[in-house]
Amino acid sequence: MKNKYVFILTLTFVCSTLLALFSEGLKSKTLFNKELDKKKNILECVGIDIDALSNVEIINSFSVNIEEITLDISGNVIDNITHDKLKISNDNITGESKYYYLNVEYLPAYISANMNALIIPISGKGLWSTLYGYFAIDLTNYSTVKGITFYQHAETPGLGAEITKNWFKSSFIGKELYLKNELKSIKITKAGKANQSDLYEVDGISGATITSRGVEILLKRDLLKYQVYFRKNK
Amino acid sequence: MNKKIFLDPLIDNNPVSRQVLGICSALAVTVKLEQAIVMTLALTFVVTMSNVIISMLRKYIPSSIRIIVQLTVISTLVTLIDRTLMAYMYDVSKELSVFIALIVTNCIVMGRADAFAMQNKVKDSFLDGLGNGLGYGSMLILVAFFRELLGFGTLFDFRIISPQYNNGLMLLAPGAFIILGLIIWVQRSYTSYVEE
Repeated sequence: MKNKYVFILTLTFVCSTLLALFSEGLKSKTLFNKELDKKKNILECVGIDIDALSNVEIINSFSVNIEEITLDISGNVIDNITHDKLKISNDNITGESKYYYLNVEYLPAYISANMNALIIPISGKGLWSTLYGYFAIDLTNYSTVKGITFYQHAETPGLGAEITKNWFKSSFIGKELYLKNELKSIKITKAGKANQSDLYEVDGISGATITSRGVEILLKRDLLKYQVYFRKNK
Repeated sequence: MNKKIFLDPLIDNNPVSRQVLGICSALAVTVKLEQAIVMTLALTFVVTMSNVIISMLRKYIPSSIRIIVQLTVISTLVTLIDRTLMAYMYDVSKELSVFIALIVTNCIVMGRADAFAMQNKVKDSFLDGLGNGLGYGSMLILVAFFRELLGFGTLFDFRIISPQYNNGLMLLAPGAFIILGLIIWVQRSYTSYVEE
């Protein structure tokens, strides 16, 4: 009787020690991959073809093309706060990410002068998971969409996970966010129902209405936060 | 005898086509050959190692908690694989992630641990795990071969057929069902096995 408990406790102890050591040992490599993947997504978002690039080339291309900027909530560029100083806090219900430094909220973004784009991080709830991605808009009119990518999610493969597929992402390119100075953002319709000539809507994913709706909501919410900056620079 | 333990699950007693186990992942990760091969390696590793470990411990595992013990061993192995992929094959891990974690629930793994490794010697259990893993994998690779070829017109992302002849159905679950059905048909007429 006693034997049973000793056995399972020993086994659990051995297994968890093994996993902890293993996970710790691979941590730096995994973190590097995650950072690299974010860089890839930012580059892809502004329209740079990353498929042909090696890891080193991606890091180079990122440092050549992309510049970090940090904004305060009234849209002023703050010079001395880099992105790595910002602490992320995620809202469990809406999936919204907020960034803080010393309890003051800031808005991180990226600028690519070469590609004439402003890139903002976006996040929000899909069906099962929080979607994390980037959204790039034109740096001169702050309205034309340059691209969208998602680098992290746990939506159903073949359904919600289609948000990472090219057909979905490329449907945003060239769309507009502003209609006469009002932020209209982009509507995601039912699958196949979008009017292709309408600059403010794209097709949703069939079988993934909630994920599609999630993308529409998170996009508008995150764009509204950065709107002060768009207005200042327009 | 040993040879039979290894070869039996490859053809005559294939876990996918004969026992119809592990179908969920066989449908999900067979869109491209690369994914299918990574999944094969991952599952073969897990089922072989879990068989070996369970077989080594079989005399000490109290029978009333044997399922919990098997699950602990299997989920440890799966997490090891998951972490390794995240560190060394990040893109593949992103595509497969949820299915790698779901190896824990693949009935082939627990089935072999409970039905074979609990009663047999380490060496035999090793062969049985290897055979079942590869038997499962061979089906995955076969299905993925046809799906990638007919669906994308490529093999290992290398273009074979012009995109205009691609069949979108092959990329969806029904395509996998159809191909798997055909394979089971061919295999059963070859082994002349009939469901009772």
